[in-house]
Amino acid sequence: MSAAEQSIPTTRRRRRVSVADRLGLTGLIIVVLLVVMAVFAPWIAPYDPTERVGTPFQPPSAAHWLGTNDVGQDLFSELVFGSRVSLTVGVVAALVALLIGTSVGVLAGYYPKRLGAILMRTVDVVLILPFLPLLIVLAAYLGRSLINTIVVIGVLIWAGPARIIRSQVLSLRSREYVLASQTMGAPDRWAIMRHVLPRTALLATGTFVRAVSGAILLEAALSFLGLGDPIQKSWGSILFWAQSRGAFLTPAWKWWVLPPGIMILLASLGFALIAFAMEERINPRL
Amino acid sequence: MSTRRSRLWVLAVAFALVIGACSGTGSEGTTVPDTSGGTETTDSPSPDTTAPPAEPVTVRAAITGDEDTINPYTYISGFPGWNLLMMQYDSIMQIDSDGIPQPWLADSVTANADLTEWVLEIKEGVAWHDGEALTADDVKFSYDYFIEWATGRFSRDLRGVESITVDGNTVTIGLGAPNPAFDQVALADVPIIPQHVWQDIENPGDIAFEIATNVGSGPFKLVDYTPDQSYRFEANSDYFLGASPVDELVVVVFADDAGANAAIRSGEVDVIFERISPEQIELLDAQDPLDISQGPEFTTQMVNFDVTKAPFDDVAVRQAMDLAIDGQDLVDTVFLGAATVGSPGWVHPGKTVYNPDVTPVFDPDAANALLDEAGYADTDGDGIREFADGPMSFELIVNSSDSLRLRLAELVAEMLGNVGIEATVASVETATWEEAVWPGFDINNGRNYDLAMWGWSAPVQANTIRIAQLVHGDPGVGFLNLTGFDNEEINTLSAQLQVEADSAVAADIIGDIQALMAENLPFIMLAYPDGAYVYNSDVYADWEFIAGQGIVNKLSLLPASARP
Repeated sequence: MSAAEQSIPTTRRRRRVSVADRLGLTGLIIVVLLVVMAVFAPWIAPYDPTERVGTPFQPPSAAHWLGTNDVGQDLFSELVFGSRVSLTVGVVAALVALLIGTSVGVLAGYYPKRLGAILMRTVDVVLILPFLPLLIVLAAYLGRSLINTIVVIGVLIWAGPARIIRSQVLSLRSREYVLASQTMGAPDRWAIMRHVLPRTALLATGTFVRAVSGAILLEAALSFLGLGDPIQKSWGSILFWAQSRGAFLTPAWKWWVLPPGIMILLASLGFALIAFAMEERINPRL
Repeated sequence: MSTRRSRLWVLAVAFALVIGACSGTGSEGTTVPDTSGGTETTDSPSPDTTAPPAEPVTVRAAITGDEDTINPYTYISGFPGWNLLMMQYDSIMQIDSDGIPQPWLADSVTANADLTEWVLEIKEGVAWHDGEALTADDVKFSYDYFIEWATGRFSRDLRGVESITVDGNTVTIGLGAPNPAFDQVALADVPIIPQHVWQDIENPGDIAFEIATNVGSGPFKLVDYTPDQSYRFEANSDYFLGASPVDELVVVVFADDAGANAAIRSGEVDVIFERISPEQIELLDAQDPLDISQGPEFTTQMVNFDVTKAPFDDVAVRQAMDLAIDGQDLVDTVFLGAATVGSPGWVHPGKTVYNPDVTPVFDPDAANALLDEAGYADTDGDGIREFADGPMSFELIVNSSDSLRLRLAELVAEMLGNVGIEATVASVETATWEEAVWPGFDINNGRNYDLAMWGWSAPVQANTIRIAQLVHGDPGVGFLNLTGFDNEEINTLSAQLQVEADSAVAADIIGDIQALMAENLPFIMLAYPDGAYVYNSDVYADWEFIAGQGIVNKLSLLPASARP
């Protein structure tokens, strides 16, 4: 494998990297646009999304670009403000996952014998658990709030990052400089902080961005199923109301179902593309 | 290299999936213009619709949510569970299309002058599904059995029964106190069960479905049940009022109303045994051969508060809240007009005993003035008034399974916000919500909420004489009094009403109670949603809309000659 890697002509290698870069740039542009939309939502949205500004079930018009929902709230404004919830949940849930994943990964990688074995079996269990049913049960049990949605998603997606980081740490711990510091009597804590963590940070960033992409999709899925907080204006909850008020079966799907669907796709895709480009660069090659 | 390629593959597959999912919704939606055009091109006619009349008629009905094995001890919901139960069983009386009870298993039902003794002449020639004759002894046995083995509903119906005697075909029921509503509340509600099947059964609540115990006398018998999926009822060809024109009734359990709506549009079911939501009425009606049966119903949507707790123990707060809520806006926005604005006196304006002096009032200025006057000022200027224990900021709990009620809650919170009362909508699981509002379905367990959305099914409103159950301060009498309301005057009047034999006097008392309720507000009435049902008129069209109760009833499936 490594021989084949080396034999690739440099020109071809450069081209391949630039494709990834271009994809990454596309992702970055999408994400930046979405973040701008979330931050400047009150200025972009023509109405307050919680206020009833028109008659219910209106089709798109000049006053309401995407029509109104079942109680006369402006759908376009809901969409704009929805980016706040979706992005927040995505980023914070991914941070939770990263925190758990990195801790478990580093500990399991640095102490691969007993602690590592126990931790990795836990990871295996979390990976094996039927994902969506567990998510639904947890969400139903904990109740509906933004915090719970974040916690539920976070505690369910940390296992993947933990595995990736553990394998990196496994190889790091046998590097000369780590061994050297151990020989000179440095405590494990010092070796981890000084040598291991900084060298996993980049990898962790990559997995984080990928986790954001997944978390956004999961938030949308939960809200759509009515397990999020239906009062919160998120893209998923717009879809929840579209479903419960029959918009999937009426012409309203074009302005009520499709736009939040596209937004969810864009957000998830944007982060996925960035993650893809980052991984091309930072993933360790063997 | 292979890992990189596989990563690209994953990305590509994920992308394709997302695109696929989108186009899936797309194609579902595009059938709409065809159907609203009037001609039916998308659905191929099902075998039932083209069948000649001689062929057996099968009606497939959709319900949302399983109803267990539908015997008197296992059925789950008051609607449509009880309605399905009564397809298999009969009661002594049956509600006619105007909502008036008529003798059914009896030739006549008569009461003495002070309404303490009811005499039933049981019909002869009625047979159980297994061929045995239904006798007066079965009637006595049924009532005794329901009293001995408590079921929530039927045992409550039979409260006050002190003696039951049988003489030939005559059953005489003695009541401890006069009960002018006994015909409607008990005789038309309690199913008669066969003594020869049930006499040896103890703890009937634990019985699983067996053909052996599910013997009734009704126009249908349950022959097959797959939990969470479907029921199959066969017509009772020997029914004493003539066999149903429908030979087979298949009830399919759907997870939600969107599923049921999709099924009736695609022709998978022929009727939906649940009310359809207002925005669907026009759409479904536009599609041939679907038709809509619509009318006023006595189900209610309301806001409950814990009246025993500050600040809701102050009538001024309750009045201000009532004034702040615009019922007409709720009806127009959430129900798209297909509802009646709630009367603060509880009684539906379509009922004969409605007191026309009691009308909903919307006046936020008066509400603000009332709160100011009562000393609930906004001292810290945050837009929320304060009371003795802090800001007037409360959680308004609502069950997440009812999307219309969830929207109502949102709008109510918005309206209360306009008068300085902050209500935060908390949408919770149905079980959590019930446990907070009506713990263990027994009001002696108290209440665990400040504000809650609530609604009663039609029977609670159907007989206004039952109003004491709803508002009487003594938990033994007012066992549906979920808000802890206690008003001396209303207690006296509603107790008096339960034993008042003269219907004119009773109507006066009901009028007075309505006025008192509108003033003292045990809860806030929001609306009485209309009932609207969709059915495929090619398969079966003779649905009977019982005023206040809808089409899911025995009469709908009986030959026209058998309907009272």
